[in-house]
Amino acid sequence: MNVEKILYDMLSYSAPIILCVLGGNFAHCANVLNIALEGMMLAGAFISVLVVLLTGNVLLGVLAAVIATFVLGLIFSFFGITRRGNVIITGLAINLLAASVSAFILKAMSLPNLNANSVANVAGMKIHIPVVESIPFVGEVVSGHPLLTYVAFLGIAVMSVVMYRTRFGVYVRVVGENEDAARSVGIKVDAIKYAAVLIGAVCCALAGANMALEKMALFTNGMTAGIGFIAIAAIFCGRGRPGTTSVYAIAFGLAQSLAINLNLSAGPASGLFNTIPYFMIIGILTAVSIVQHKNNRVRGLIDG
Amino acid sequence: MKRRARRGSSLFGLGIANSLIPVVSAFVIGAIIIAVVGENPWTTYQFMLGQTLFDASGFVKTLHYATPLILTGLAIAVTFKANIFNMGVEGQVLSGAFAAGVVGFTLKGLPAPVHITVCLLVAIAVGMLVALVPAVLKAYFGVNEIVVTLMLNYAIVEILRVLAQTVFRDPTSGYVSTPSVAPSATFTRLFGTSLTLFTPLALVVFVAMYVLFKRSRLGYEITAMGINPGFAEASGMDVRRKIMTIMLISGALSGLAGAGFMLSEKFKYTLDFSGNPGLGWDGMLVALLGGHDPVGIVVAAVLYAALKTGADSISIFSDVPKEITGVIQGLIILLLSIRYFTRTSVVARRRAPTRKSSEEPVRAAQS
Repeated sequence: MNVEKILYDMLSYSAPIILCVLGGNFAHCANVLNIALEGMMLAGAFISVLVVLLTGNVLLGVLAAVIATFVLGLIFSFFGITRRGNVIITGLAINLLAASVSAFILKAMSLPNLNANSVANVAGMKIHIPVVESIPFVGEVVSGHPLLTYVAFLGIAVMSVVMYRTRFGVYVRVVGENEDAARSVGIKVDAIKYAAVLIGAVCCALAGANMALEKMALFTNGMTAGIGFIAIAAIFCGRGRPGTTSVYAIAFGLAQSLAINLNLSAGPASGLFNTIPYFMIIGILTAVSIVQHKNNRVRGLIDG
Repeated sequence: MKRRARRGSSLFGLGIANSLIPVVSAFVIGAIIIAVVGENPWTTYQFMLGQTLFDASGFVKTLHYATPLILTGLAIAVTFKANIFNMGVEGQVLSGAFAAGVVGFTLKGLPAPVHITVCLLVAIAVGMLVALVPAVLKAYFGVNEIVVTLMLNYAIVEILRVLAQTVFRDPTSGYVSTPSVAPSATFTRLFGTSLTLFTPLALVVFVAMYVLFKRSRLGYEITAMGINPGFAEASGMDVRRKIMTIMLISGALSGLAGAGFMLSEKFKYTLDFSGNPGLGWDGMLVALLGGHDPVGIVVAAVLYAALKTGADSISIFSDVPKEITGVIQGLIILLLSIRYFTRTSVVARRRAPTRKSSEEPVRAAQS
């Protein structure tokens, strides 16, 4: 067992979850339950690898992923916010569409998966930080991640500022707290909700690109494997606060890292380690819910 | 009297229109996608639906495939209607099916009716057990059931994969699979068709659920919880117990669906047992399309089974990937999430033609 490797993987696996969480927080605070994070992330992963495979340009791949999920975000917002549809069903549909459209295109191209390793250099996308790299233990953990992983961690600070220090952040939280009050003071409620969902969509695109393009230059069907829902669990646990939710995201990243690293040293039943993150999330969410529930007895059971 | 009857029929028409618009639009968009791939949409749809809906033996086969979907559709509807979102039907189906399979190939020498009954009962128990986890967490600790059920799905798939690869692996099989269930545990085909006794069994369950939805106190309470959970709780309903009951019914139906599919169609657990998207997700479409109404669910299940079995034949006759059903399914669900005509919009239009129709936002479950 190699501690540096586990910690390196922890940062690596946390990054997409953090990106999803940071984006999803806004929708959560604006009182829009966005369960489409998973599908948006999958779309981001798929489009980024597809475009890189076709053009060979990494930047173009990330840009295309952002545009694609932006469109998904607009669809989600139109059905869920403008037309007041059931957002859970809308989100579910986005997830299903992302999964089936990517599977459909793969089949139509007669490919089992998308492999862009011939055009994109995965090793070259890793950033080796000059001085930090040579520090014995720290260097091995912190250095050598792709760009978007660092963006994710820097994003925690940026999104905290946006959420708590800007007019937009205040508006988002006001809309979530009391929609009618927000409307009465002239805040364009639907516009704020759109913006909240679309920020989430863009962040999910980055998460998908980080996971598929930067780390492996490979897309396989259903590769996000519930990361979007893990992010939703982190958002619930941290009640939409950028800092707290990111801590939960890192904890889930650690669980994944442990699962993968334990897998390598285990026998045929190694697959059971893959269930660790899922059970851990249920456990943590339960613990947090019990605490929140206790302080929250006044409100109705179902709303709580 | 006459006026009320007319209004009732127009509301019924609204329900049909609200389901028809998404289906037609989804097929039109699907046709465009098929055309983009370079195939003829019209002939593709003919292959898809001609043999499964408009041909006697094909239709019987469609009914056979619709059977588990009726059950999963009911399993989804019973929770969604109460504003409880059991997204774990897929996992409950798989674990029920796996349990039925294990009992099916380990027990030997039992008479067929006994063996099948034991398999089904074990599967129902396992399905309920899996549903019990999110039920308790939701009812007593206020844990969001959407996250818990979704996470359990992923965990269950992994656990069953390991079990199928190790303890229960069929060593003679070239791929990962459990042994086939014993002949005494399989539903026999009726009159040489693809139908088995599983279909009438599911219809009995359907009748029971119809009574539950339309005639029982629980059905009324489910509707009340769905419309206004706060009021339901304030009026003295024990919402916790209702959540437990509803989730356990859902789990039982899911387990039965999985077991029936195992004993009438698959006979062994493989890694792609439930197909893609699986029976649980199909059940979600069926429930939404059927408007959470038992009769609507049966109609939707038959239509969707026709679409899905038809998709298998288009991959034989054309180059359109059968994943097109997933795309159409996603589009239908997306378009089903909003209402195109509501009672208020019709009434408003009738009374005051100029007034802009407003609709009550559909309440979504909150965290």
